[in-house]
Amino acid sequence: MLTLYRPGTGWLHRAPAGAKALVILAAVLTVSLLPSTYPFAAIALGSALVAYLVTGFGVAVLARQLVGLRWVILITLGAQLIFLPTEPAVANTSRVVGAVLIASLLVLSTRVVDLLDAFERGLGPLRRVGIDPARVSLVLAITMTTIPVLTRVATSIREAQRARGAGRGIRSFIIPFLVLSLKHADDLGDALTARGAA
Amino acid sequence: MTPGAAASPGILTLTHASVHLGDQLALDDVSVNLDQPRIAVIGSNGSGKSTFARLLGGLVTASAGTVSVHGLDPTRQSTEFRRAVGFIFSNPDAQIIMPTVAEDAAFSLRADRLRKAESAARVTAALERFGLADLADRPAHDLSGGQKQLLALCGALIREPRLVIADEPTAYLDARNSRLIADHLLGDASRQLVLVTHDLALAACCDVAVLFEGGRMIASGHPTEIIGRYESSLAC
Ligand SMILES: Nc1ncnc2c1ncn2[C@@H]1O[C@H](COP(=O)(O)OP(=O)(O)O)[C@@H](O)[C@H]1O
Ligand SMILES: [Mg+2]
Repeated sequence: MLTLYRPGTGWLHRAPAGAKALVILAAVLTVSLLPSTYPFAAIALGSALVAYLVTGFGVAVLARQLVGLRWVILITLGAQLIFLPTEPAVANTSRVVGAVLIASLLVLSTRVVDLLDAFERGLGPLRRVGIDPARVSLVLAITMTTIPVLTRVATSIREAQRARGAGRGIRSFIIPFLVLSLKHADDLGDALTARGAA
Repeated sequence: MTPGAAASPGILTLTHASVHLGDQLALDDVSVNLDQPRIAVIGSNGSGKSTFARLLGGLVTASAGTVSVHGLDPTRQSTEFRRAVGFIFSNPDAQIIMPTVAEDAAFSLRADRLRKAESAARVTAALERFGLADLADRPAHDLSGGQKQLLALCGALIREPRLVIADEPTAYLDARNSRLIADHLLGDASRQLVLVTHDLALAACCDVAVLFEGGRMIASGHPTEIIGRYESSLAC
């Protein structure tokens, strides 16, 4: 489901990461703050479509993003339909989807390393209050790398449970998951030290 | 490769080095001088091989005795020590830090504060060398186990360390990938290698072998002789 960098040479790819992040952030905020009515829902989704067209990613990439978001769409829509009338539920979902699609443009067109560099520069002033921007951006990167690994760990634990005929009990899942996660964190710490990061 | 052609590697020196892990004596009074280019470390599970490797790599500290790696003190964790020494672990998954292949290779160069173009050129060259060039922009977690371990190797060797320590680098790999990794590790005599391995055929390719048992280094010498001694200790 995570969007990932797609190599390219278009203008969005060449734009400096920091400025790009700010412009996209502004667009995302604008779309998220639109009123919850059908016309504005159309504007939210329409701006996402326009954004993918003018940046040269096109409809195919947009469609792939939508497929990746199908569960988010279903859950957001379903949950809201329980509590809200149809119009605001549909409009809210459209705003969320529009905002996520536009935000994805940043990740699609920017290498994580460049993003982290920009992020680090942007957080520079925080140094004065004792926060190290390099550490913060490293933690973000490691989080992104670790999610798929922990997903695989979770899957293998569930398979092991099933192989032994154990039920789907949450307690028999959580303990091995914690143990393996902590072991992974330990190993990653060693790798960070060895590669000169710590 | 002629044995004499290798550049004179540095010296690894331990004097009465011990390591306590919790209340366990994981390494027990080891004294040794090693200046050979390729050093094999063998012994049973729990015999202290990893602790020895981690001590040389500055990942654990000696509770007694001293350690010197090419004249540097590992516990100081100086930039100089980190640049001189690369470490490769068994688990390919736990060594990948950045989300994509090229980014992960580039991560090792971050501390060097190179110019963008130079760093990119070195990453491209390194990925090429390890056959990963076509995968540069792929998510690292999509790689096969063998490819991940090649990436780990790439991440360690891109900094051109003078010493590489590898702790069972082929333990998770099939025969073909083990061979590939071993070829990369053993093939370059310009840097020193400490290779912890259960693959005795690999150990036999090294210039010297050391044998561990119960936390002690019980023998060191020509690989054939040391492997023979290890195998006869297993038989009975
Ligand atoms: N984190 C730890 N805490 C306590 N004891 C440990 C730890 N890691 C290893 N040991 C113990 O130290 C000894 C040496 O372990 P190790 O160096 O990992 O052996 P090897 O790599 O040869 O299998 C073993 O008895 C092991 O149980
Ligand atoms: Mg070990």
